[in-house]
Amino acid sequence: MEALEPLIYAGELSPGRDRMIAELEDINTLCATYRPRIYRYALLSLRDPDLAESVTQDCFLKAYRARDEFRGDCSLATWLTRIATNLIRDTTRSRRFQFWKMASTTAVEAGTVADRLRAPGLSPETALVVREELVKIWDSVATLPGKQRSVFLLRFVDEMELTEIATAMGLHVGTVKSHLHRALAAVRKAMEKTR
Amino acid sequence: MKTYHLSAWEQEDYVLNQGTEQQSPQVLRHLAECAGCRSAVARLEHGVDVFRSAAVEWSSECLATRPQQHLSVSMRRLPAVAMRWAIAAIIPLVLLVLAFLPFHLTSPRVAHPALQPSDDALLEEVDEQVSEAVPSSMESLTYLVSTQSSAGSAAAAPGSKHIVQTN
Repeated sequence: MEALEPLIYAGELSPGRDRMIAELEDINTLCATYRPRIYRYALLSLRDPDLAESVTQDCFLKAYRARDEFRGDCSLATWLTRIATNLIRDTTRSRRFQFWKMASTTAVEAGTVADRLRAPGLSPETALVVREELVKIWDSVATLPGKQRSVFLLRFVDEMELTEIATAMGLHVGTVKSHLHRALAAVRKAMEKTR
Repeated sequence: MKTYHLSAWEQEDYVLNQGTEQQSPQVLRHLAECAGCRSAVARLEHGVDVFRSAAVEWSSECLATRPQQHLSVSMRRLPAVAMRWAIAAIIPLVLLVLAFLPFHLTSPRVAHPALQPSDDALLEEVDEQVSEAVPSSMESLTYLVSTQSSAGSAAAAPGSKHIVQTN
């Protein structure tokens, strides 16, 4: 057993790879496990439920077809997030998306989301302030550059570790931190406007 | 211990490192003692929490209205699977055709039924000609040979046909 471990790592294949490959083989279970997470990431990145659904399905299809290429050097969630990130980037670069982005009304969307915010135990005045704050944050996140927004969502919505985000985004940890600082600064600035 | 307030960068660093072991002990000590910085950090964290709650809520609502994905995945996989089966079915057919094509090109053609009567008549005519021992054009020569050799072959019948032996 001691002699096997260096051989396994010499090929840069994780010992847990076989288990994760088996998990990848069962696409329905894979979807059931990771779909909410990937869909949420796509939805918040694209702000379009239909496009998010399309990206989510493409993500699982790509993962399933490329399951033999999965080296097991990161978790399945991180690997799927990486695939989703690439798909989201491709989608946002498309002309069709650019057109609909220009035509969309983010203010209405932010208000719609804010209406669903549950604020139990808050007075009506405080709830109103929180609602206004959310609308500002929502819009500021929407206007963040692509990588900053992705990093922000992965850290503060999906609560991924910085190293996982770095792997998923193909960035250095330092770059991830830099993006997060800028994103947080934008959010802070947006919150200051509600004061 | 820091004697001044945390900078915006330090506050953001604290928020983005929440839940990790990368927090600076100095920043932690300062936050424990400075209500102003603690309030600023709490406000930033609150904003992020509100955003997360709304995002998760909205995503869950959108997802609940969507059909089960495994059906969609099956549907989208269908063309690829169907294409593979179609190719698998076509390849043996093509190979079969290619294997029999040269044989088909070199094999004798089967006579058309409409042409058979004339062919039969032609064959009968050929058979008649072949069955004759001496062709009609050479029949006169046989008489010549018969008269010259009548001495040697007196037993020969007058109407019999003989072939000339030249050597």
